[in-house]
Amino acid sequence: MTSAIRLSGVSRHYGAVKAVDNIDLDIAEGEFFAMLGPSGSGKTTTLRLIAGFERPTVGEIHIYGEVAQGIPPYKRPVNTVFQDYALFPHLNVRDNVAYGLMVAGVPKFARHRSANDALEMVALGAYGSRKPSELSGGQRQRVALARALVNNPKALLLDEPLGALDLKLREQMQEELKALQRSLGITFVFVTHDQGEALSMADRVAVFNEGRIVQIGTPEDIYYRPISPFVADFVGSSNVLPPKLVASLLGREVYGSLRPEAVYLSDQGHAALITSVSFLGAATRVSMAVSDVAMTMLLPKGATIPKVDDIVQVNWEASDLHLMFAP
Amino acid sequence: MFLLIVFVWIKKLRHLVVNTGLEAGPKHPQGGSLMKNILKSSVAILMGLSFAGQTMAQTMITEIGEGEGQVNIVAWPGYLERGETAEAFDWITSFEESTSCMVNVKTANTSDEMVALMNEGGFDLVTASGDASLRMVAGKRVQPINIDLIPSWSTVDDRLKNAPWHYVEDMHYGVPYMWGPNVLMYSTEVFPEAPTSWEVVFKAMDLPDGEPNQGRVQAYDGPIHIADAANYLMFHNPELGIISPYELNEDQYAAALDLLREQRKIVSRYWHDAFIQIDDFKNEGMAASGTWPFQVGLLQGDNTPVASTIPQEGATGWADSTMMHAEADNPNCSYMWMEHTLSSNLQSDLSVWFGANPAVLAACTDGRGMQTAEGCTANGLDDFDRIKFWTTPVSSCESQETCVPYYRWVSDYIAVIGGR
Amino acid sequence: MKMQSAMLTSISDTLWRKPNLLILLLILPPALWLGIIYLGSLFALLAQSFFSIDEFSGVIQYELTLKTYGELFRPSNFDIIIRTVVMATAVTIGAAIIGFPVAYFAARYAQGKWKPIFYLGVMMPLWSSYLVKVYSWKLILAKEGILNWIFESLHLSWLLNAYLAIPVIGGYSLSVSATGTFLVFLYVWLPFMILPMQASLERVPHTMLEASGDLGARPYQTFRHVLLPLALPGVIAGSIFTFSLTLGDYIIPQIVGSSRRFIGQAVYAYQGTAGNIPLAAAFAVVPIILMAFYLWLAKRKGAFDAL
Repeated sequence: MTSAIRLSGVSRHYGAVKAVDNIDLDIAEGEFFAMLGPSGSGKTTTLRLIAGFERPTVGEIHIYGEVAQGIPPYKRPVNTVFQDYALFPHLNVRDNVAYGLMVAGVPKFARHRSANDALEMVALGAYGSRKPSELSGGQRQRVALARALVNNPKALLLDEPLGALDLKLREQMQEELKALQRSLGITFVFVTHDQGEALSMADRVAVFNEGRIVQIGTPEDIYYRPISPFVADFVGSSNVLPPKLVASLLGREVYGSLRPEAVYLSDQGHAALITSVSFLGAATRVSMAVSDVAMTMLLPKGATIPKVDDIVQVNWEASDLHLMFAP
Repeated sequence: MFLLIVFVWIKKLRHLVVNTGLEAGPKHPQGGSLMKNILKSSVAILMGLSFAGQTMAQTMITEIGEGEGQVNIVAWPGYLERGETAEAFDWITSFEESTSCMVNVKTANTSDEMVALMNEGGFDLVTASGDASLRMVAGKRVQPINIDLIPSWSTVDDRLKNAPWHYVEDMHYGVPYMWGPNVLMYSTEVFPEAPTSWEVVFKAMDLPDGEPNQGRVQAYDGPIHIADAANYLMFHNPELGIISPYELNEDQYAAALDLLREQRKIVSRYWHDAFIQIDDFKNEGMAASGTWPFQVGLLQGDNTPVASTIPQEGATGWADSTMMHAEADNPNCSYMWMEHTLSSNLQSDLSVWFGANPAVLAACTDGRGMQTAEGCTANGLDDFDRIKFWTTPVSSCESQETCVPYYRWVSDYIAVIGGR
Repeated sequence: MKMQSAMLTSISDTLWRKPNLLILLLILPPALWLGIIYLGSLFALLAQSFFSIDEFSGVIQYELTLKTYGELFRPSNFDIIIRTVVMATAVTIGAAIIGFPVAYFAARYAQGKWKPIFYLGVMMPLWSSYLVKVYSWKLILAKEGILNWIFESLHLSWLLNAYLAIPVIGGYSLSVSATGTFLVFLYVWLPFMILPMQASLERVPHTMLEASGDLGARPYQTFRHVLLPLALPGVIAGSIFTFSLTLGDYIIPQIVGSSRRFIGQAVYAYQGTAGNIPLAAAFAVVPIILMAFYLWLAKRKGAFDAL
């Protein structure tokens, strides 16, 4: 596995604020890598450090083996899709897409052909002569994608590219992006605060919190084996069991995490007071209190659904209770 | 350094604001504000021209009655002072106290403005220059003056009593107010002795300090400066047959323009504003220029090494008269004021204030104000005969068949300054 | 009292039911102002320019003719127009070049308390009297003035003299040269260029510039292809100010410069004692036509597309 982007001990401080605090990161070539975290967690700053819009306060950044500090953005072999797309309003769609080729000195005819090809790729072949203001949000997003990809970057950086789209469009674009990445085979670095998006698309996920990377791993790692209560809480709505409860079950005083779908109704187990019930279609989410700890479970279609204020018995497999040793 | 500049300019602006309009010197015929009076002026010109040539028939009043309590005067900036600019210069307060006629002053920056204001009406008196005066007489805007009602008339300089700029067809239309020459000012550092000819500002030459005069001389930035060139030619090229520098036929006019084109090559700036010229003699190393005695006085008062002279060719000049509106609402106060202009400290103090010459010779000597015989001499009192007082050039002129009219002077002088 | 309030109610009811009537009432005063006071005087000016002055008597002839406009093309008058246009163009370009970095700095980097300080700095010259500024410049540029003194102190007088020896732009000293006029115009009108540019630069999202750099554009390419086109409405707005203000000014060239006339001064001279109102009006129409042409050109070049 060749390293595409490597960050070693990278920090970015604004005065006393540590936007990015001593990060180590190694993104492999051809990987679809997601950076996940709440807003202000440092994921976007990390992306900007890779793109070259920010300089690290300390630390080293390597892009395809070359030291990147001191290299301006326009010399880096990466391209960015901005959160607001940043399409040039004074240029039409084709000229927007051809912009990178134009500044590189590609003749008009050749760059227009490449731009048209790139627009075909994102299914906007007929929109070349329009102004960005005449496009819908999803169309603009694709133009931004085509504009970045037409330069054949070694890595594509995407800053919350789907954030401004509505749910249906977002799901559609998620699939398209994934397919695109597979067909192009280039590295995608994807910033998002939507854990579902990160888990469904990425090969690996880095979870950010307060300027640091809390956990890096495959979506399964992150989902099933969160390293800390923060990850468990942020990635999917895991039940976090406090150390006391875990101690009473297993004798070890650490946090435990339990996926809602791992909890089931049982004849024997733990008494639970049902506090609310929500029908989700494919499943039903039930909130309850177990020994004063709030927990949720997902009951599959066809299961008996308890009522609010019922007291029931719930249980789970011991192997599903994941212990978290990080604080 | 910066503070110094600011200080100096605050001083200057005080002058500007107090004495003058936006850009006018204390008195000059062309100043004024742009576009302000387009319509007014056009009306004025039309009136003036359309009434020209009609015979006059005006009735004069024969006795002065009770004062009306006020008198409204249109005047050049700086002409009517009540001690507000400089405490020592006040010739209104005593009049108001003795006659109970309150003086309301409206300043005008150009002759056109004066004519326009008089056409509008509501004014009693105006201090008109030679070009405006005849226009207003022709337009019947002013009425004849009964000199018997002005006891001090007899003290007026004999040379002014029947001057053509207010004495028309045996009638007096104005009371002489003040006159002055356009003198040649020179730097005493450059000229150990006064230059004897206007040549130093017309022709390229080396000055007594060994340096060429190019860039170090100025000329007046008004078409009337063509008359100065004509005045020079009158002396040096008698074959042109110029009789009056304000009445030029095509050939004489062309010769004057040629001289001015030659002058353009050595003039660095055409002066328009008295205070800019004062500054130029302080900061631009100017050697010589035609100017008013006013600037000479201010510069000397500031210990700048300058002096002035009226060279052998003589000089152009201006002469103003107090004239009375044909429908003056306050004739009694007006007559009282005209008497006051001749009998009070006005003639003496104003001539000091302005660097001009009084219309009453005694004002130079009898101690009624600050002026002295030496002061009057310095202002050019004895050079009356060498002064060609300025009037508006018109096509139907007295000395020859047709003359080049003033509006052509304007466009041609603009062309000369532009290098054409 | 009761009737009055009833009447008021019925008026507001009517206005509510007929919103167009309200708009009409609101729009009436500005429309009257624009229509009668503003356009009226403009047409009066235009009308004057179609009259002419009689060659011999100097009387204005109230017959429609294009003769006066023909006068504009006499070499001496045409000189004035060319001179003014060249000066206005130079001042506009100079102001844009000097103003852009200032505006850019203000829009991008002046944050928090620096913002008001910037505005103060740019606006301060506008607070002092126009005349004080121009007269101060005359002192700075004078033969025995500060600038000359600086050149002398640096033993660079030869450089200044060599520059002043250049015809047209040079002269006896800076204060009587066309360069001097240019410098003072530049100083006096610069705020009118900086402020609209700053406003338009502020509206350019920062990500636009990052996107351009990200796509491989070097800084000057980003300037040329992104920043400038997006800031163009502001530059155009600023240039309209500097260009038209220079076209119309008649004070500065009178105080600083070679005494050669500009359009404003020509208008002033012709409408004054010369009494040639038609020619003055024709001269006054020139800047209007020039500005109309300029706006048309700017629109054609797409200067307003990013609005």
